[in-house]
Amino acid sequence: MSGDLVLTGLGLVLPCGDGIDAARASLRSGTPCFAELPESLGRGRGAACKDFNPAGIIPPMQLRRLDRCSRFAWGAAHQAFADAGLDPRPLGHRIAVAAGTLTGGSEATEGFLRPYLQRGPEGASPLLFPNSVANAASGHLAQAFGLKGPSATFLEWECATFAALEQAARWLRSGMAEAALVLGTDGLFPLLLEIARGARLLARHGDPVAGSGCGFLPGEGAQAFLLETRDHAEARGARIRATLASVAGIPALANDPLERALALAEAVDRVLPDLPPDRWIGGSCGSSRIDPSEASLGRAHSGWPAPLQPKLLWGEFAGAGGPLLAAALLEPATRVLVTAPASFGPQYAARFEGVRL
Amino acid sequence: MSPAPAGRIRVAVTGLGIVSSLGADRERTWSAMLAGRDGLGPLSGLELPLEAAQIAGEVPLAAGRHQTRCEAMAVQALAEALDGLVPSGDPRRIGVFQGAGTSGLPAAEAYLAARLAGRPHPATEAAFQNPCTVTDALARRLGARGPRATVMNACSSSLLALGQAWERIAAGELDLAVAGGAETLCITTYAGFSSLKAVDAARCRPFSRDRAGLNLGEGAVQILLEPLDRARDRGAVILAEVMGYGASMDAHHPTAPHPEGEGAARAMALALRVAGLEPAEVDLVSAHGTATPANDGAECKAIRRALGSAADRVSVTSSKSQFGHTLGAAGAFGAATAILGLRDQVVSPTLRLEEPDPECDLDCTPLTARVRMIRAALVNAFAFGGNNVSLALRRWEGR
Repeated sequence: MSGDLVLTGLGLVLPCGDGIDAARASLRSGTPCFAELPESLGRGRGAACKDFNPAGIIPPMQLRRLDRCSRFAWGAAHQAFADAGLDPRPLGHRIAVAAGTLTGGSEATEGFLRPYLQRGPEGASPLLFPNSVANAASGHLAQAFGLKGPSATFLEWECATFAALEQAARWLRSGMAEAALVLGTDGLFPLLLEIARGARLLARHGDPVAGSGCGFLPGEGAQAFLLETRDHAEARGARIRATLASVAGIPALANDPLERALALAEAVDRVLPDLPPDRWIGGSCGSSRIDPSEASLGRAHSGWPAPLQPKLLWGEFAGAGGPLLAAALLEPATRVLVTAPASFGPQYAARFEGVRL
Repeated sequence: MSPAPAGRIRVAVTGLGIVSSLGADRERTWSAMLAGRDGLGPLSGLELPLEAAQIAGEVPLAAGRHQTRCEAMAVQALAEALDGLVPSGDPRRIGVFQGAGTSGLPAAEAYLAARLAGRPHPATEAAFQNPCTVTDALARRLGARGPRATVMNACSSSLLALGQAWERIAAGELDLAVAGGAETLCITTYAGFSSLKAVDAARCRPFSRDRAGLNLGEGAVQILLEPLDRARDRGAVILAEVMGYGASMDAHHPTAPHPEGEGAARAMALALRVAGLEPAEVDLVSAHGTATPANDGAECKAIRRALGSAADRVSVTSSKSQFGHTLGAAGAFGAATAILGLRDQVVSPTLRLEEPDPECDLDCTPLTARVRMIRAALVNAFAFGGNNVSLALRRWEGR
């Protein structure tokens, strides 16, 4: 996929705070957002969106029916439409939603299942079950903002939001939509922490370190990107934040580190055929399954700038690749490379050009 | 029919594999459907003693070694779809597109149940079993290194996955794609739909006046798609032609469809427009047809909105009357029903449709299969979140 699509709106709910300024300050400071989590989110350390405040954005009646993923997504989408200067309702039929998540639906599934297993059908809440599907967030956003175009929610290990971006681009090019809201969203919940810890995926001593292989720490949040064709954006006089030049995912066929590294290198070759990047956003998180691919890429391109690693500040999950795409848009740059190594499946890369604030 | 837009490559269905509660393969499943056999029966694979509803479409297939039941069913359906074909050529031009609803959930359920009972249980399986696992397994079997997607749009997932596969082949990006879905029964969905009072304690009755909800089912459908010219060159049997798809959101309610079928009608109309088909060319609608009070009436209204007066002569069928609702795989089951109907020029029946609901005032093919001319078909799949997908298929007539 390549061509002239532009980003005109950005909305961020992250552990460092809401909005573009908080994210930019966090990246510049390089201070991790990890802390002991409240019991309601799980036992251990992680990066929670503790300052997220939906007041004035999500009506109270709706708020109590939403899971964390959907709340964050709503907040991020609200910001993205405002940032793009677009009232979505009049154009609703022509706005698509493409979402990526790793945990979407799982918080509600645990909330529904735990009392059911303990008390039987009497414990099962019909209010929770509708949020147990991964596409709950996009459904809530459709209703909240009047979005009626095509919609897809993807699961793709740590890179789902890249898959969503790719699909959104396809819909725009085929004319199935005139604008697309691309979302990454994830929320923390106790069972996630317990399973990740039980599977020995989490860093046990201190914050995660890229290349250490000592494990990652989880995070949460949502990122919303408004993507349009350049013609559509210019026709409505929108400010263009960046051009999406290319996005590509190359699957690792076998489950081994070399295959993953080769796949990531091939994805980078696809999106960055000639000139080097002047910024590089990476997806290393401390995991022995993920970091080596990017390290190998760095060794092969010693002239490139060192990658910025948002997952070391905001945690793994946190929008299934969305934070990496967001980080690419926070500083002016001519050509930004984003790499998203994953523990299985496709390894993604994307290139943005002409990033402006 | 207007021709496909210039530059768009025509897409053929050249393989179809089914694992269902009616049979372990395509032809056994299809003959059972045409004979009006029922794939629903008393639930036995899950222990839910306190649930009032205990009917489901279960598949008697055990998990393989290092394999979930979901993956086992998907792989078996893939083998049938390939029918001995060993994909050759550039592996980067082979794609895998899967729709999923719950695959991976049984592992998390087992983990949580064990922990609540105070038993130790390894977390690894729950950590690494998710719907992508099935997609990855199919890609490994195929040697596919092309695009891969796992769509999680609840009950419209696998139909959207088919649409994506079509999109990629039609754009000239792929030489071969496998698309479909696999789903196993699990506690969460059974208990969840029961909590919404959406499950019928008896066998479901789509489009009936006394319909009272759905039954859940499980199974897998895998569909092989390739460029039409390439399929002809290799002498493949062409089962049908995929013409395009449409998708929309209701923006109405998290679980209930728009009562007038507004969003669903837009998805169908878009599918027709993308396909270059006129409503009068559509002879079959393989409906979402869940048998819930809200869905079936709204879907019939949507069909009328999309097809206009042509709706009066279209045949509508619901395969959920035979398999139950297979959730993430349901769209692929609906597509299989339409593909085989187009191949054999016969509409499979909607079982137990003794007394049609006046709100469902279309020919919903009650009780027995019907031989008729089918030139083109629409397949519908709708989902939580107000998600609608419609796929357009056409009979392959040798040109």
